Amino acid sequence: MSVHKDFHGALCCCLEYIYKKYGEKELDMCLRQIARNVYKPLIESLKSRGLAALEEHWRRIFTIEGGDFDLHYDSDVLVLNVKKCPAIWHMRERGYRIFEKFCEHCRIVNDEICKAAGYNSSVDYDQDAGSCTQKFWRRREG
Amino acid sequence: MISCTEFILAYNEIFNYLHEKHGKEAVVDLWKYISDEFLQNLDELVAKKGIQGMKEYWSRTLEEEGADYEIKATEDEFVIEMYKCPSVGILRRTKHIKVYPYYCEHCKVLYSRVVEKYGFDYNLEIIDTNAGRCRLTIRKKR
Repeated sequence: MSVHKDFHGALCCCLEYIYKKYGEKELDMCLRQIARNVYKPLIESLKSRGLAALEEHWRRIFTIEGGDFDLHYDSDVLVLNVKKCPAIWHMRERGYRIFEKFCEHCRIVNDEICKAAGYNSSVDYDQDAGSCTQKFWRRREG
Repeated sequence: MISCTEFILAYNEIFNYLHEKHGKEAVVDLWKYISDEFLQNLDELVAKKGIQGMKEYWSRTLEEEGADYEIKATEDEFVIEMYKCPSVGILRRTKHIKVYPYYCEHCKVLYSRVVEKYGFDYNLEIIDTNAGRCRLTIRKKR
């Protein structure tokens, strides 16, 4: 499957623009709207099938994009280790300017998807290294 | 990570968000920003090679995106006959999203700003927004 990785650069540019023009809060709101609307089927699948839905999602897109990653469960937590982020590495190879808060979009989008489905998430990233660890687990009631 | 395979949906949602919050002018301003800040690769190709540079740029991007198109390039005219725009195809196939009604206009703003700087006239004829059919004609100014 052919993929047009320059779209990562275009997305980065959009996020930078919103941040510069409207500020951090608006960027957060915009990303949460993307999460709720674009990822609606993933939210529904996460609700009905649990973490297997997210595991499949990440495996599919990181495989398509040729990312260096691993996925495993630590007890009841799904852990995604991204050793070489396809977006960061592509933009770097192309010499695109990378918005300093680019990786925040992963944290915000994951958070909104998980919240809507009754899950929690965390993202620990190193944007300069192009790596991160993302975790997903069911929210405990009460 | 918002995958490059999901970019069109995210892009469309960013347009929806900005339009709802700040009006259409805010969306057009975003397109101008992308053109000025992100299309450096197209800019360099047109600056160095003119129409041949346009052919190189769009042949690569449209192939990667899986478009159904035809390019005609002569000494003073460059034409893209788009039979099925891949972005429009994604938007029309994805039933759970709201398609931004002015989506196709981004191509007018993004690319005209680059090529007009180098002495070309730019004309985008949007023939059928549902089918993703359009004709882009770029001519050397006389």
